[in-house]
Amino acid sequence: MTESRPRRITTKTVVLAVGGLAVALLLFGPLLAPHAATTPVAPPYAPPSAATPFGTDHLGRDVLSRWLHGGLPLVLTSLAAALTGAVAGAAAGLTAALTRSGWVENAVLRPLDAIAAVPPILVLLLTLIALPSRAGLVLAVTLAAAPLTARVTMAAAAQVAGRAHVEAAVARGENWAWLVGREVLPLIAATVLADAGMRFVSAVHLVAAAGFLGLGVSDSDWGLMIVDALPGAALQPWALAVPVIGVAALAIGANLLSDRVVRTSRGLAG
Amino acid sequence: MIRRAGLLLATGAGLVLLLSLLVHVGVDLLPGDAATARLGPNATPERVAEVRHRLGLDQPVLVRYGDWLSGVLRGDLGTSVTGKPVTEMLSDRIGNSVVLTAVTLVLLVPLSLGLGVLAATRGGRPISAGALLLVSVPEFAIAGGLALVFAVTLRWLPAVSLIPLGDSPLTHPDALVLPVLSLLAVGLSYSVRAIRSAAVTAFGSPHVEFLRLNGISTRGVVRAAVVPAVLPVAVQVWLVTGVGLVGGGVLVEKVFGYPGIGELLVTSVQTGDLPVVQALVLVLGGAMLLALAVADLAVVLLTPRLRTRAVAA
Repeated sequence: MTESRPRRITTKTVVLAVGGLAVALLLFGPLLAPHAATTPVAPPYAPPSAATPFGTDHLGRDVLSRWLHGGLPLVLTSLAAALTGAVAGAAAGLTAALTRSGWVENAVLRPLDAIAAVPPILVLLLTLIALPSRAGLVLAVTLAAAPLTARVTMAAAAQVAGRAHVEAAVARGENWAWLVGREVLPLIAATVLADAGMRFVSAVHLVAAAGFLGLGVSDSDWGLMIVDALPGAALQPWALAVPVIGVAALAIGANLLSDRVVRTSRGLAG
Repeated sequence: MIRRAGLLLATGAGLVLLLSLLVHVGVDLLPGDAATARLGPNATPERVAEVRHRLGLDQPVLVRYGDWLSGVLRGDLGTSVTGKPVTEMLSDRIGNSVVLTAVTLVLLVPLSLGLGVLAATRGGRPISAGALLLVSVPEFAIAGGLALVFAVTLRWLPAVSLIPLGDSPLTHPDALVLPVLSLLAVGLSYSVRAIRSAAVTAFGSPHVEFLRLNGISTRGVVRAAVVPAVLPVAVQVWLVTGVGLVGGGVLVEKVFGYPGIGELLVTSVQTGDLPVVQALVLVLGGAMLLALAVADLAVVLLTPRLRTRAVAA
């Protein structure tokens, strides 16, 4: 028996490996898919076989291929929506905090508060009635996300805005871009980043919900796959199980990631 | 206290009014309207104009909004694209959705308080980890998963909530189980997390340490110090969760075909039945704002410091 150094498999390695595999599946899914997302390849509700590992759906389309095609649009749309929501919200919050006038604060934040009082699913439905497209979906998620980000950014920036180095910069006559970019944002970046992570989690939720409502971003959206598979779930449970697991795994992964960002940023912010 | 309640209700009513105006003007900016939705794409322009005139759609949007508003005050929510009065379409379904939400809340309140306080203790790590995992999963994915396990694989419960028209869901408990479980999972994950963080603070407070050092049992400490401190937060969390259930219920109802307002809302959006959508937005928005106002008052009533100040003022 030779002495060998035991290979240590830490939780971190496992998490990185699983996460990397998931990202690779999302990115290269459309290339790996054995069939097209929309063409029937076998009879409807066919059980799993060699050609179709998870069987076919109600129109005879390959479940695995649809799943592989549907992931990337879902994630990209969620990312775009979370980004616009975080930027818009942070801009509103910074404006309210830095002008330090009650009038501006009311004018910027009260309308956002009114939007925050409407359930996100209603915001989504109303926006998609008006704009049934990917742009409408991004707008809906932005509308749902921005009010909360604005509140968080405003609270963080208000504490920084009164500090001596900001006062000094104002007295020097620095412009807005300098004030925001050099004096305030570096101190609250951790908070804003952590908040953006949470916005991404809710963006995934809403974008998948839009697919579920038949108003989604692609013709093989995971939400759409769930709603398509429901009537025939007794005949072909895989057609329901695969997208349900996909949505759940994506949501949990995004949540764990944002939770991690929050913890790290707390360390950074002190 | 009463003045505060009045103020909250007035603000809420103002916001609902604003929301309904927004929906009307927003819908007016769209290409289609109730007349084209009712007649379909093959209608002649003359026929569309005729129906539009009969429905009063050739009036300016603000005039129509005024008419709609005066109708709402008389209890008339307008007419659906299908020709049925909206009030009639909603009456059964609102009751069904209220039953669903109420049953869920009745189960949620004791469960979330117990689990939340338990999660704050040393043995509670699995609970808080479970809540963290579950809180991000969309409710329709949870509902789909539950349907897969209990309806398709185990065949214990029906996958579709068949409730005959006019029957109360309470007479068909088997149809209610899966929708309630789905909503409960969504509500529990959020409220357990919120109650847990309040309980952690309460457990760390000096008076709890004092009780402990005096040899009071954990059960006694929880009853005397932790639960009273957690309760104002918990009530707030339950009410917000209750409102969230109204929103989350929309998709859960759709998964199980449960005949509530959520299912109707989704169908109406998909078919472009705008009068129904407008009425439902009013109902859901109103419920949301009412619950938020009640939550605000509950915090004042349950926090002694705020309560006495409110009486003195």
